[in-house]
Amino acid sequence: MIPHILQITLSIAVICYFVLILYYLKKKYLELKYTLLWLLAGIIMAVMIFFPQTLVWFVKLLGIESSMNGLYVLCIAFVIVILMSLTSIASRQQAKIRILIQEISMMEKRVRELENLHDGCRDGSSVQELRQDQQYE
Amino acid sequence: MNTGEKCLIIIPAYNEAENIEKVVDNIIQNYPQYDYVVVNDGSTDDTEKICIEKGYSVLNLPINMGIGGAVQTGYCYARDNDYDMAVQIDGDGQHDVGYLAEMVRLIENGEADVVIGSRFVQKEGFQSSRLRRLGIKMLSALGLLLTGVRVGDITSGYRLVNRRFIRIFSEDYPADYPEPEAMIIAAIYGGRITEYPVVMHERAGGTSSITIGRSVYYMIKVTLAMLIRRLSFGVRR
Repeated sequence: MIPHILQITLSIAVICYFVLILYYLKKKYLELKYTLLWLLAGIIMAVMIFFPQTLVWFVKLLGIESSMNGLYVLCIAFVIVILMSLTSIASRQQAKIRILIQEISMMEKRVRELENLHDGCRDGSSVQELRQDQQYE
Repeated sequence: MNTGEKCLIIIPAYNEAENIEKVVDNIIQNYPQYDYVVVNDGSTDDTEKICIEKGYSVLNLPINMGIGGAVQTGYCYARDNDYDMAVQIDGDGQHDVGYLAEMVRLIENGEADVVIGSRFVQKEGFQSSRLRRLGIKMLSALGLLLTGVRVGDITSGYRLVNRRFIRIFSEDYPADYPEPEAMIIAAIYGGRITEYPVVMHERAGGTSSITIGRSVYYMIKVTLAMLIRRLSFGVRR
């Protein structure tokens, strides 16, 4: 079982945790989509702290001796899952940024060539290319 | 090109101010039948300035993306501008554009979808160090194991592709150290891959992007990338 004083400490910690998340959400520093995992982790932690029997049951299920160790295992598991989801978010963002960079570079080329054309055809080669570009459209 | 098929030369360049002029001027003067585009991969030196001043056809990436993202930009450009073929060469002058006519012929005749300029068909010219050749052999064996296609110079950055693979690569191209992985993609999509013997020069200036310290990381990363690429396609089919 969890000692009562620890139970109080953990309760305060979990409350702070929720207040912080809600504060960030309200300030729009966090996207709700990305906090769902955090909220789920918080709810499960709160259940285990306010109803320690569930923790004892869960710990027995996994075959862990002390319920405190069970709590640690649970916390670490959550952190790992959240980190993985962060890496996945970062990777997907990288793929999107890549497409953006490519589109920008192609657009910059078109703008540059249009400007050259506009500036009285100072640059012969790029005007030719521009005319080619227009043919293919 | 007699048949009127349009071929684009993609020249990825990251901090290649020393070499880029020589490479591009050589194409403009000696091979005017090909179009080219320099992909300036967020260089921090004068590459961009030189290209704009000389009026080169250049795509300036605002942020450095690495060789894969740069080459892919070239394929996107080839796709959007309706090219029949695209070839990637290094921006440092290692690859001789003189071989291109023969490579293009292989695709025009419908003998291949992807033509790789290979150092190892005829063992001439710059062959790189023994350890590096061993690494290339290992990757080549892995490629054979995974796809049943043998490509000797699997890390060669000198490769010509037809319209179909311009489209495929413009949508899906590996980000860093892309060459062996791109070969797996080509093989999995059923591309006929041919190697054409070329002689490569040693770099004219600047330094190679793969230092000895990174070689181990390179091998691990590329091996894993090839395996995962093969696995993910296996599930889909």
